[in-house]
Amino acid sequence: MTSLAQIFTFAHWETKKSLVLPGKTILPLAILLLILLGAATVYSARSGLHLQDGMYSAGTDDPEIAAIVAADARFRVTLHQEIDPARFHGAYDIIITDDRVYAADSGRGAAAAAALERVHEQYRNSVYSQEEDIFAAYPLLVRTEAVRSELDFSVARTGMQVVSPVRSSRAPEPAGPVTFVPPPDPGAGVSAETFRSGIIGSPDEAYQFFHYADYIAGSRGKEPYTTPSQLSPPLPFDSLVLIFVFIFPLYFISQFLMMSIMNERIERRGEALLSTPARSWVIITGKTLPYGAGMLAISALLSLFIGAGPALLLPLIPVILFFIASGLIIGMVARSFRELSFISLFFSTVTTVYLFFPSIFADVHIISLVSPLTLMIYTLEQEAYTVSQYLFSTSLFLVTSSVLLYAAVVNFREERIFSTDTLLTKTADFISSALRPSHPWLSLFFLGMLVVPFVFMAQMLLLVLVFNLPLPLSLILLLVAAAAVEEVAKSSGIYTFSTRYPGFLTWKSLAAGALVTAFAFLLAEKLLLLVTVSQIAESVFGTVLFSSLGLLYIPFSIHLVGILVSGTALKLGGKSWYIPGLALAVLVHCACNLWILKGWLW
Amino acid sequence: MALVKGRTLPVIARKDLSALSKEKTILLAILLQLFVAMFSSFLMVGLASLYDPSSISGYTGIKYQVGYSGEESPLKELLESRDDIRLYPMDLSTAIAALKERQLVAVVYVPDTSPDGKEPVTITLYTVQNDIQAAIINVKLKETLLLYEDYLRVIRAGRLVVLPVELEFPDPAGAPVFYEFVYGLLIPLLLFMPAIISAALIIDLITEEYEHHTLETLLSAPVSMGTIIWGKILACFVLVPLQAGAWILLLTLNRIPISSVPLVMIHVMLVSLFLILFGALIALYYRERTGAQVIFSLAVVVLMLVVLATPGNPFNQVAVLSTGGPGAGQVTVLALVTAGIMVLAALIQKFAKTTID
Repeated sequence: MTSLAQIFTFAHWETKKSLVLPGKTILPLAILLLILLGAATVYSARSGLHLQDGMYSAGTDDPEIAAIVAADARFRVTLHQEIDPARFHGAYDIIITDDRVYAADSGRGAAAAAALERVHEQYRNSVYSQEEDIFAAYPLLVRTEAVRSELDFSVARTGMQVVSPVRSSRAPEPAGPVTFVPPPDPGAGVSAETFRSGIIGSPDEAYQFFHYADYIAGSRGKEPYTTPSQLSPPLPFDSLVLIFVFIFPLYFISQFLMMSIMNERIERRGEALLSTPARSWVIITGKTLPYGAGMLAISALLSLFIGAGPALLLPLIPVILFFIASGLIIGMVARSFRELSFISLFFSTVTTVYLFFPSIFADVHIISLVSPLTLMIYTLEQEAYTVSQYLFSTSLFLVTSSVLLYAAVVNFREERIFSTDTLLTKTADFISSALRPSHPWLSLFFLGMLVVPFVFMAQMLLLVLVFNLPLPLSLILLLVAAAAVEEVAKSSGIYTFSTRYPGFLTWKSLAAGALVTAFAFLLAEKLLLLVTVSQIAESVFGTVLFSSLGLLYIPFSIHLVGILVSGTALKLGGKSWYIPGLALAVLVHCACNLWILKGWLW
Repeated sequence: MALVKGRTLPVIARKDLSALSKEKTILLAILLQLFVAMFSSFLMVGLASLYDPSSISGYTGIKYQVGYSGEESPLKELLESRDDIRLYPMDLSTAIAALKERQLVAVVYVPDTSPDGKEPVTITLYTVQNDIQAAIINVKLKETLLLYEDYLRVIRAGRLVVLPVELEFPDPAGAPVFYEFVYGLLIPLLLFMPAIISAALIIDLITEEYEHHTLETLLSAPVSMGTIIWGKILACFVLVPLQAGAWILLLTLNRIPISSVPLVMIHVMLVSLFLILFGALIALYYRERTGAQVIFSLAVVVLMLVVLATPGNPFNQVAVLSTGGPGAGQVTVLALVTAGIMVLAALIQKFAKTTID
């Protein structure tokens, strides 16, 4: 009970000291800037973005075509009396004469021709949509129906292999029962007038702010009918923009948290805080509470605003926790403002990639489930997701946040907070507080287990990054990078021990330490595999990342060999041999993985 | 006493630069830029491959199995003539069942609407939900459906009042999507990123001296406030051409040639100087990091929106210049940015003076 009261006291202090007081000084200008922001948004929505203006040059002898082309700001159009494509060759990116388009044979020429094709398409639409008989101008409509396949996951998990080979010219026969599907209604189901307004409103709308404003207000539903030119792959760009609205406040608020922690460390201002009788977990909970509550409140308000309901917040909560935990740690390790800026910038970029990139493929591929944002998109699209999918995309966030919070609590001490060591030393310091020289094996074991979620997260990020590369290249990249991440993580314990306690590293302790760490890794991997990676574990990518699905002794010996190699380098040559030793360990690791992969590739 | 001393200026700049290199933070900044470049390129490659799957080698030569159901129509022949689609005339219910078992990638249903009827011909396209194959077959079917739309339009052409001018396009070559992305977005983004980084850096450098109370120590040496500020600005500014130059070099090595490099660099450096001075001014005003950074980032967002929405802006100039095009209205833009720099510089001088008194 007293802890609870203390937490609220700290939260109250924090709100007053770090949010209200500085807030007052910047408030007038901030409000002014927010008003200006609104005005600037309106202005840019009216005027459009002028980034690619005048990129291409076009020459023509037809005034009507010149007007059509000049409607797009990307083109600089020159009107000639008469233009001969052979004589003017190379003078323009594209030449249009006698209703024929000639493109210069350069990259820019090809790009200009492609851009012109889209401009022409828009022009045609603007002409056709004026027609009295609209269905003579648009005689073909396409209605898309999504069919849910029972084989969803078992098929998609084969990674890139998406097409079954054609066996014969005979029509395929379904193995299961055939349920009767009534033929769709042949009628348009849409009146000429609604259709016309849909056509006029559509071109290039995707780039305009107001389009999203409509979306947020919920007034824009999915069009059931499209013309063939409107048919596009199901990429959820709209939902992504919407999600960005949710993530952006989290970035912003976590900046305040980092700064507040950093401020405690300037000139040992936080000494008073540390001298209170409260335990460090109480202080940290109290300090982070206002920020967490703020993030949650803003997210709740946003979801209320778009009428999405509280279910939308469910996948967001682990993300909020992750932002809080990493903000805390970043505020604790940064030595100076510059470092804080760069670490936080770097952190937010990496997190953005991890969160956004997979969810672009939310309606396309199973890989998208790596990111919790995908679940938010599902919620917005009113699609259900299973508990195991929820666990798959959020458990890594939950586990890594808990580990980071634990590290923050353990290290919230005078000698850690007020030290100005380098980033690496500080990280080693943080790790070392998990190590007890009195129980070296037990601490190495726990450390091994604690770093595994981070390894998984890094490997997921790698998977996401290489996923779009062609298959052999992506596998090789993944193989090397994943091995590197794993070896760094595995050797971190022994490295820290050997630098902190110089006498520690004997041949005997190296062997024992390696055994313990390898075992911890194996155990933690198995545990995490249960909830998380089963979705992708059976694809060829899964084999590269988590080779431990096969026999137990193979992954165990790979782990062991890796640590032994880097540990031996440490023992023989000290700190300076660590990096070469690590490189060698990565090589060995890759070789072992390749040997396992043989079963998949050949 | 002169406000800025020429000889002490580089000393201050060197002090801040050496602190920066000792911390190796600049490494993190460079890593960050690489990451952004990688991320945006991967995004682009991924999206392009989705729109044009044949750009990924593994997808060529594959025949997609499509079920055809409903009435006979010219669409059937159009689909059959494609060599990447194998069409099976089937009963609708059987076809859907096969689709659910993924023996087909799509099913097309064509109703018996007459080609010259009053109503549009509404075909139904069944695909599997949440599947990359659905995205690919969408792109392929779109090409054929556009042909069929043209066919139907010709039949109904008598009912149209105005016919648009038709153009005959050459066959597309290469991946033009990348060109516009690289020159129209990636290059301006990469070249101006150092500017943003340096501007954030100057805020940290200045507010740090205030908050750590190291400014008094510095001022007790024979340097003026102006010298300290301008030394810091110099330190941040020299980082810009180094990073932007590295990007230009890397892009060129990647066979993305950049034209008019000197002019591009002038634009980048002037805009960077403007942003750095702007950041310095805000830092001098607030003297503490949180407030300064919040106000600066809000102001930069506003500024960016306005600048990007204005035709002929520096970003546009850099995009056009790097493709080898003539930047129209160069002089005006350069003069405007320079004028902005002068105003900010004067304000900073004023601030530096008041701090001394």
